[in-house]
Amino acid sequence: MPSADLLRSQIEARIPAAFAVYRRPERKTIPTGITQIDDLNGGVPVGALTEICGSDLVSSGRTSVLISLLSKASQTHFCALVDASDTFDPASAHKTGTNLSRLLWVRCGKNQSKFTPLEQAFKVTDILLQSGGFGLIVVDIGCIAERLVRRVPLSSWFRFSRVVERHSTALVLIEQQPHATSCAGLVLRMTMVSAIFSGRVITQFNLRSEILRGREKKPSQSVSQDFSLKTQWA
Amino acid sequence: MFACLFVPDFPVQAACRMEPKDTREIFKKSPIAILDGPTPPRVVAMNQAARSAGIQIGMTKLQVETCGGISLRKRSLANEESARAALLDCGRAFSPCVESTCPGTVILDLAGTEKLFGSHESTGHKIADHGAQVGLELNVGVAANPDSAMFAARGYSGITVIPEGREAKYLAPLEVSVLPAAPEVLDILDVWGIRTLQSLAGLPPIALTERLGQEGLQLQRLACGKTCRTLVPAESNEDLTEAYEFEDPVETLESLAFILDRLIQQLCVRLSSRSLATNQLEVMLELEAKQRQTGQDREQYERVWKLPLPVQDGRVLFRLAYLDLGKSSFSAPIHKITVRVVPVRPRSVQQSLFVPVSPETEQLEITLARIRGVVGISDQSGIACAGSPTILDSHKPDSFSVEPFSGGPASGAFPAGSESVLVLRIFRPALETSVDMAANKPHCLSIRKRQFRVLAASGPWCNSGFWWNNSAWSRDEWDIAVKTWEGIGYYRIYLDKIRKQWFVEGIFD
Repeated sequence: MPSADLLRSQIEARIPAAFAVYRRPERKTIPTGITQIDDLNGGVPVGALTEICGSDLVSSGRTSVLISLLSKASQTHFCALVDASDTFDPASAHKTGTNLSRLLWVRCGKNQSKFTPLEQAFKVTDILLQSGGFGLIVVDIGCIAERLVRRVPLSSWFRFSRVVERHSTALVLIEQQPHATSCAGLVLRMTMVSAIFSGRVITQFNLRSEILRGREKKPSQSVSQDFSLKTQWA
Repeated sequence: MFACLFVPDFPVQAACRMEPKDTREIFKKSPIAILDGPTPPRVVAMNQAARSAGIQIGMTKLQVETCGGISLRKRSLANEESARAALLDCGRAFSPCVESTCPGTVILDLAGTEKLFGSHESTGHKIADHGAQVGLELNVGVAANPDSAMFAARGYSGITVIPEGREAKYLAPLEVSVLPAAPEVLDILDVWGIRTLQSLAGLPPIALTERLGQEGLQLQRLACGKTCRTLVPAESNEDLTEAYEFEDPVETLESLAFILDRLIQQLCVRLSSRSLATNQLEVMLELEAKQRQTGQDREQYERVWKLPLPVQDGRVLFRLAYLDLGKSSFSAPIHKITVRVVPVRPRSVQQSLFVPVSPETEQLEITLARIRGVVGISDQSGIACAGSPTILDSHKPDSFSVEPFSGGPASGAFPAGSESVLVLRIFRPALETSVDMAANKPHCLSIRKRQFRVLAASGPWCNSGFWWNNSAWSRDEWDIAVKTWEGIGYYRIYLDKIRKQWFVEGIFD
C-alpha cells in the first residue's frame, strides 16, 4: 500500500500546484489622512470595495473622511469622484490640499436623462473601472434615498467587487447604510459624538469611526476609534 | 527616374472608394457606369466590365438600362476630390516632388529614393500597396522621363518598369489613344491607319510635321519616349478632408457610422503617410430637408472634437465621433458627410517614469465621451458635468467651474498634506426653507418638509458681492445645530437678502 508521502509526490509530479499553499498578496492601502482611522485598518484597501456609511440627516463626518482621502490619494494617484447628488465642495477639497487637476469629478443627475442619478452613478463607475488608470474611485451616493439604494441587486456589488480585485484601484462608496455585504473589503461607519463651541462659534467636532467589516483584519467584534476634526475657521 | 500613379476609370474608383475591400473586388467584376449632367443624365465613365457589356460614353440612363445588369451611380465631385487628394498623399509618401498631372494621374520624382524603398520595381509595389490602403487600385509606371512613365501606367496594368534607354520598345505596342492629343489629330491618325505608338514612331518626321505641324512632331517624340520635362510640383495642401455624398440620404446612425468609419480610417492612413497626427476632428453633415422644402442651401450640422494630445488611431477618433453623434438627433436625412482633421506633429515625448499611473491618453477621451453620454455634457448653468473642478477667483460661495480632465501629469504646486478639517456637504441647488426667528436667531426650520428645532445658532455672518452689476448677491449665514430623531445635525443656512428667502446650503459632515 503506497504511503501518503509517495502519493503526495506522485500527485505533485503531475499537478505541481495541488499542495501549494496559496498566500494572498498583502493588499496595499491608501491612507485616509486621519491617523486614528488609518490605525484601525491602514487606510482604504486597494483592489477592494470600501463602504463609508453615515447618516444623511445628521452630521457624521463621512464627507470629511472622503475629502481627506482625496487629499491624500491625489498626491500619488489620479482620482475619480462619481457624485450622484452633486454635493462635493471643490473649495473645501482645495483647502485640504486636494490636487484638483488630478481629480475627475462626475456630476450625476444634472440633465434630463432616462437614467436616475443612482443609475448614472453606477454606469459611470462601470465605465471608469473598465477604463482603468485611476488609483481611487469614489462613488458618493450618500444623499440618495435609502429605499432606492436598497433595490440595487447584489450582483452589481459583486460585479464591482470582482472587477476592482483585478485593478490597482480602491473603490469607495459613501452611503447611509452598508449594502455590499460580503462584497465589501472594508465597512466603516461614521458617527458624531459631540461638537465643541468656542463662544458662539463651532470649532471642533468629535467623531467616531467604527469598522463593521474588514477583510484583512476581521474583527471578532466591531472596533471603533474616536477622533476630532476642526472646522475650517478654527 | 519617375513614377506615374494612374487610377484606371477614376470616377468609378472614386465612387466605390469608401466601400470595403471585399465589396470593391466584387464591383471590379460587375459593370458600373457613372452618370452626370443635366436631364437626361449621360454616362461619363464606366469600368472595364461595363465597357465589355457595350456601354459607351454619352449613353443616356434609359439606353444603359436596356442593356440590363449595369449598376448606375451618380457622379460625385466631392468623392472625386477626396480621391484626388488621397492619390496625392499616396505620392507624397514616396517623394517630396509630386505633380498632379490630371484627375487620377500623379507623377513623382523617384531620384534618391532607392536607399529608402529599394529597387524601382519594389518601389512600384510599395506604391500600389499604399494606394490599396487608401482605397485606390493603381497602375504604376516607372521610366526615365515623366511622359513615358505616364504612358506605361496608362497602357499597362499593374507595375511596369521601363529600363532607361528602352522606352521606345516598351511603348511600341500601346495604342495612340494614350497620347495627350486632340480628338481631331487622333481621327487623322486613325484614317492613316496609325493605331500604335510604334507605327507613329516609324513615320518620317518631316512629312509628319508638314501634315500635323509641331504637334505631330511632339506626339512622335512622345511615342519614342524621347521627351524630357521638369515636373510642376503640386502645392502642399495641409488640409486633410474626406467627403462622401450619399446617393440616397441616410437616416440611421448605423448607415452613417459605416461611412464615417471609412472616412476617418482613410484620413488616418493619409496622416500616417505624412508622419502626422491630429488633435482636432471635425464632422460636417449636410441635411436634405431644407433644400427640398425651400430650395435654399442645405441645413448643416457641425461638430468639433478637440483632443488633449495628438492621436493617429482611427478607432479612437471614430469611437469618439460615434458616441457623440449617437446622442444627437437630426431633423432630416443626411445627404453628405465631410470629415476634416487638423494635422499636427505626433507626440514624441515619453511620459516620465515618476508620474502616477494615469488613464491611457488615447482611451481617456473615449471614456469621457462615454461618461458624457450617461450624465450629459453640461448642466443648466453651462458648467460641464464631467471634468476637473477649478476654483474661481471669487468670494461668492460655491463658485467653481469644471475644466476638461486631461489626465496628464499635474503641474504646479499644491498645498500637500494639509490637516484634515470638517467640511460642508453642499446641497446643490440649495434647499429652500422657512425659518422662524426668535430673539433675532433661528428658532425653528423645516428641512425636506420636516420641522426641526434649532438647538444652537452661530451668526449672522454677512456676505455680499457683485453689487455693482446684475449678478449681485447678499446673504446672512447661520451655522445651526438642529435636533433630529437620529441625533444632532449641524447645518449652514442663509437668508438671501435679495430674494428674501431662506436656504439650507449644506450640512457639516
